[in-house]
Amino acid sequence: MATHKEITNSLLAFQEGYNKNKKLKIMNRDWNRVILIKATDVESEHTLKLEDGELSVKEGAPEDPDLVVTSDSETLADLFYGDITPTEPYMNGTLVLKGSEDDIVRLDFISLMIWGE
Amino acid sequence: MKRVVSVSLGSSKRDHRVQVELLGEQFEISRLGMDGDFDKALAKLKELDGRVDAIGLGGIDVYVYAGKKKYAFRDGLKLMEAVKKTPVVDGSGLKNTLERETVKYLLKETGLIKKGTRVLMVSAVDRFGMAEAFVEAECDVTFGDLIFAAGIPYPIKTLEELEEIADKLLPEMTKLPFHMLYPTGKKQESRDEEKAKKYAQYYRDAEIIAGDFHFIKRYMPDTLNGQIIITNTTTTSDVELLKEKGATKLVTTTPVYDGRSFGTNVIEGVMVAILGKPWEQINPEDYLGLIKKLSFQPRIIEMAS
Repeated sequence: MATHKEITNSLLAFQEGYNKNKKLKIMNRDWNRVILIKATDVESEHTLKLEDGELSVKEGAPEDPDLVVTSDSETLADLFYGDITPTEPYMNGTLVLKGSEDDIVRLDFISLMIWGE
Repeated sequence: MKRVVSVSLGSSKRDHRVQVELLGEQFEISRLGMDGDFDKALAKLKELDGRVDAIGLGGIDVYVYAGKKKYAFRDGLKLMEAVKKTPVVDGSGLKNTLERETVKYLLKETGLIKKGTRVLMVSAVDRFGMAEAFVEAECDVTFGDLIFAAGIPYPIKTLEELEEIADKLLPEMTKLPFHMLYPTGKKQESRDEEKAKKYAQYYRDAEIIAGDFHFIKRYMPDTLNGQIIITNTTTTSDVELLKEKGATKLVTTTPVYDGRSFGTNVIEGVMVAILGKPWEQINPEDYLGLIKKLSFQPRIIEMAS
């Protein structure tokens, strides 16, 4: 089980990976979204906000998220640290993504562009 | 008579059956759409296995390519592996030869392709042979793989960048359900209005629009301005639609039977049935030799009024 702090740190690592990737910022200039990251086994909620290609991370839940990412704390931390890809846990139901199919593909894409081989 | 059946995840509205004579032999070629129902497609494949001479998988890619790397879609493999006795193909073998030859033919024999021609390939990893041929012809190519499959308005301009991005994305994205990345079933019958507006400029900036017809059709803007379309799987109503939109020419890469250009999976199935060799033993030279014997050439339909 990961702690809230570990999830926060994984999201900050994700943000750092994103910010280093100039191409990714260009690719996401059109995608303004508010994403809730929620753990199922510990009290932990975070907000990822993408605006004009920039990604920010905040502790706590947003009011009206476009996309909700829910999983156990360990999977969330592994995912945002890049130790696992989102595809497998998404396909086996460990990771639940609520939002439009296009947004789910886009989030998968961002994660793979940061951590992919 | 030899029977070749294409089982497609696409709409059953496009079903078709023809009889043709090829190299002195009669062929019945048919296409069966499963309306996006994956389980129905699996059941149909099992039913046909051992009862026909070749099966094509339509409306889905099994293998896509970027550079020397080959990636397999999990859903496509599931369908392919359901067939145990009959040769089963997805068209990727033929795309690599026939569609490459199409570009070379247009370059050599017509004035339709020149150095610097602006080409939009709506998706290149499913037609890497064609993508390479356009680059070899020194066309100004935009690869729309991210734009149309993933909704990311980022035009890829070189094969190197395409390979780099494919290498990051495809090992994982090929595990997703195919319908998340490609229009299947009912989606093939409708246009994505929002994206058609959003991405209209990519169509209008191009002189040639090439690639998968379902992608081309789903994101096509209200009007075109004289483009040449290079594709296949078009029906007579698709030809009318392209004419109405303002395309000037349609080039189909596969032969037209009964007003219909079949998918590469069907034609590859026919070729496998003619060659009578296991698919794994067939190489590009076999296909090229047969293309010559069958006198397959791209068909150019004039549309300008």
